[in-house]
Amino acid sequence: MSKNNKVHHVYDGIEEEDNRLPNWWVAILLGSIFFSFGYWFVYETTKTLPSPLKAYQTEKEANAAVQAKLAAGAPLNDDTLWAMVKDEATLGEGKKVFAQICVSCHLDKAQGSIGPNLTDEYWLHGSKPMDIINAVTGGFPDKGMEAWGARLGPERVKQVAVFVLSIRDSKVPGKAPEGVDYQGNPAPK
Amino acid sequence: MQTQRIEYDDTTVRRFIWASIIFGVVGMLVGILVACQLVWPTLNFGIPYTVFSRLRPLHTNAVIFAFVGNMLFAGIYYSIQRLFKARLASDFLSNLHFWGWQAIIASAAITLPLGITQSKEYAELEWPIDLAVVLIWVVFAINFFWTMAKRNEKQIYVAVWFYIATIVTIAVLYITNNLALPLTLGKSYPIYAGVQDALVQWWYGHNAVAFFLTTPILGIMYYYLPKAAERPVYSYRLSVVHFWALIFIYIWAGPHHLLYTSLPDWAQSLGMLFSVMLWAPSWGGMLNGLLTLRGAWHKLREDPVLKFLVAGVTFYGMSTFEGPLLSIKTVNGLAHYTDWIIGHVHSGALGWNGLMAAGMFYWLVPRLYGTKLHSVKGADLHFWLATIGIVLYMVSMWISGVTQGLMLRALNPDGSLLHPDFLETLAAIQLPYLVRALGGAMYFTGLILMCWNLIVTALAGKAVKTTVEVVVVPKPPTPPGEGLVGIILGKPFVFSGLILILVMAIGFMTSAMVAMVLMGAIFLLSLLAWVVNTRDKKAGRKSWFAIIEGNGFAFTAMTLVAILIGGVAELLPTILIHQSLPTDGAKYQKPYTVLELQGRDVYVREGCYLCHSQQVRPFLAETMRYGEHSQIEEFVYDHPFQWGSKRTGPDLQREGGKQPSLWHYNHMIDPRATSKGSNMPAYPWLASNKIDTKLGEKKLRTMQKLGVPYSNAQIDFAEKDQQTQAETVLKDIGADGLAWDSELVALIAYLQKVGRSQGIAFDAPSARAVGMSEGGR
Repeated sequence: MSKNNKVHHVYDGIEEEDNRLPNWWVAILLGSIFFSFGYWFVYETTKTLPSPLKAYQTEKEANAAVQAKLAAGAPLNDDTLWAMVKDEATLGEGKKVFAQICVSCHLDKAQGSIGPNLTDEYWLHGSKPMDIINAVTGGFPDKGMEAWGARLGPERVKQVAVFVLSIRDSKVPGKAPEGVDYQGNPAPK
Repeated sequence: MQTQRIEYDDTTVRRFIWASIIFGVVGMLVGILVACQLVWPTLNFGIPYTVFSRLRPLHTNAVIFAFVGNMLFAGIYYSIQRLFKARLASDFLSNLHFWGWQAIIASAAITLPLGITQSKEYAELEWPIDLAVVLIWVVFAINFFWTMAKRNEKQIYVAVWFYIATIVTIAVLYITNNLALPLTLGKSYPIYAGVQDALVQWWYGHNAVAFFLTTPILGIMYYYLPKAAERPVYSYRLSVVHFWALIFIYIWAGPHHLLYTSLPDWAQSLGMLFSVMLWAPSWGGMLNGLLTLRGAWHKLREDPVLKFLVAGVTFYGMSTFEGPLLSIKTVNGLAHYTDWIIGHVHSGALGWNGLMAAGMFYWLVPRLYGTKLHSVKGADLHFWLATIGIVLYMVSMWISGVTQGLMLRALNPDGSLLHPDFLETLAAIQLPYLVRALGGAMYFTGLILMCWNLIVTALAGKAVKTTVEVVVVPKPPTPPGEGLVGIILGKPFVFSGLILILVMAIGFMTSAMVAMVLMGAIFLLSLLAWVVNTRDKKAGRKSWFAIIEGNGFAFTAMTLVAILIGGVAELLPTILIHQSLPTDGAKYQKPYTVLELQGRDVYVREGCYLCHSQQVRPFLAETMRYGEHSQIEEFVYDHPFQWGSKRTGPDLQREGGKQPSLWHYNHMIDPRATSKGSNMPAYPWLASNKIDTKLGEKKLRTMQKLGVPYSNAQIDFAEKDQQTQAETVLKDIGADGLAWDSELVALIAYLQKVGRSQGIAFDAPSARAVGMSEGGR
């Protein structure tokens, strides 16, 4: 057994040599230690590079700027929205969003279940095109309408609002009417 | 020379082997079932006890503590008797250890499907079982150290160093993480809350991986690999460097599970950096294993044992490279909460633990039954099934994790989310989910093949009694300078202590100049240590390491010191910070009402945290999808924290007030009614189960003891308050036939409260950005 002269110790027949550490391994060990000192120095001691929270703030501001610029280019109002109802492309996209997101509460034909029927002539939060935009964007959390603005983004909010405009008054049988009609008369009980 | 005849206790070893195999089969079978449930959510057959969120902890606990646990006890008990040249100290303790551990496993297998859980990952078992675990672990420790004290071999081999680290550290981790105040026999609240609880849990969780699934298996590698290869271990000095570096560094790495969360930034950075520094120490173990095969690689062709051991070590190398990579903040930002992490843990569990176990069993069983392995071809087939199975598992999880991670953060050119609906991302990973189940099934088939092979082998032979003649080593007097004082004044100890103090000092520095001076000092001190060490070696002085390796007590004490430093350095400040958090500032969390607390306990019991996080990270895509990012003050009353570690479904931190209560009701009764394509199981029993209304008062009282500011009036009126609120919620839901005291009402009350801390408005941002000022509210 002991022909091997590099043997350092023997345990239960297991010989143990004492070869030197591979250079590349030592390089990884020391390299990661040096890296750690450097990282700490830059991010924690001097805070030269931004922390995750700071980086997030920057990202958020840049995104808000992009959105503001886009909004300034194409102002939304009741008239422009009504005009879009004739645009097949916008309607098609809006229908897709509706089928993906809104059906869970308003059902597939917008006849209402958890949320109100969107095909009757009664409205809970205003019937104007911009009212619909605002309802989708900010929601009515107390009444169960989720705020979709952040998740969908302005483009899709616009598309789905246009789709909702296109199906109003189509009177699909479903949930009983809620809210008021265009003249302000309350829904029949 | 005095000799002594001893008979090794191999009966205990045999028992642990069979227990490990049986529970391996059970644990992995449950694994395949839960993998399939993610594709076909109705596979729980409508039964609460088989629902994904209750079976998943059963799967992890069975594989970790029953399969690997029994395997490592077998491996340790066999090898220490040979390495110490001594029989296990006490047959009584060995028996108690074996049967006690199996009783713990049985009670886990009963309580987890019943929903009795602490909801801390890999620490789900409730307090009575925790006490049993601690007791049996102490039995194990006594049996081990007593055998060590009786040893007939002066020096302690590297395998045993790793065993010592395992025993000492698991004891510290397990006790610290499970400190809780019991409410009933099957329910307790942890003494920690929020960010504190999160840090303690992941300090434990990460080091359970380190000291239950890694160090004991490394020790086993150091014994069984050279035995099977019949080659010398490559390098003693590599053993020394990688052992001490590994156990010292590992304990700091826990916060890498909490990157970008509400954990203070400095702790996150420590978690990341120590994980990066862990790369080389981990690979040291792999190198010592693989280089032991120098000149014996041809043996791999014929010997299935070596095939398994070498592949196991290779998978260890792979996952310990992947680990540091995943700990880098930006990589983690993509991978965390996705299946990439699931793939990572399985390359460790199936690749490293599973293959090492198989190699060890194929080597041990023929020897313990005095025969040859029944079928080498069968073992070869097992090897290929297992390896291909792991590869399918890992690759499908990489694809699934990266796909979902990228989809969730993808933005449109206008800055909005490309995939606003979480379910779109789930639809995209259906194929990887199927492939994962297939890979798992292949691995399982290999395991069954091993069962058959080992049973036939054992039946062909007979349980062997091994008796050996050992030379009794008399206890020599301690040479001068090798006593306790000599050890504490030893150069490596003094030098590393000094360096450590300077390193810690850097942590508190905000001045670049001072930090640089300190770094210079550390560099010079390290250089000096190296020079002194080289000179001592040349002079032929006995090294400090050789001294403590001959002194079991000193070695154990040094190990304890090494693992305590990182733990104390991270936990203590966090606990202090937590205690000084404002509870009445702008962002304070209101204590849960008694009904919300009841609902929260249902949330915990059902294991919702296993698929839903409650932690919104500061990423644009995330705050747009879920709402304002989470902040440290929001969790001060969360005993236990429910941040989760995986998003099979969306985050729920800002769920409160987001959806109508009726939506929640419909969703719980049939998730696919509200969310087409969802893979969430239905929880219809929540509608018929009743909360224990009498317990509400005691819950508040227990929480009050933990520091949650409930007034005595609130406690006195708990039962009435709970009904009042429940009736409001019930009206809000408006569903027929639902009782006010049903669990579902309480759960919905909780879900409507989550994340609605004062001063944190749900981010309803775009209204202004789109250019509209007045909403139609």
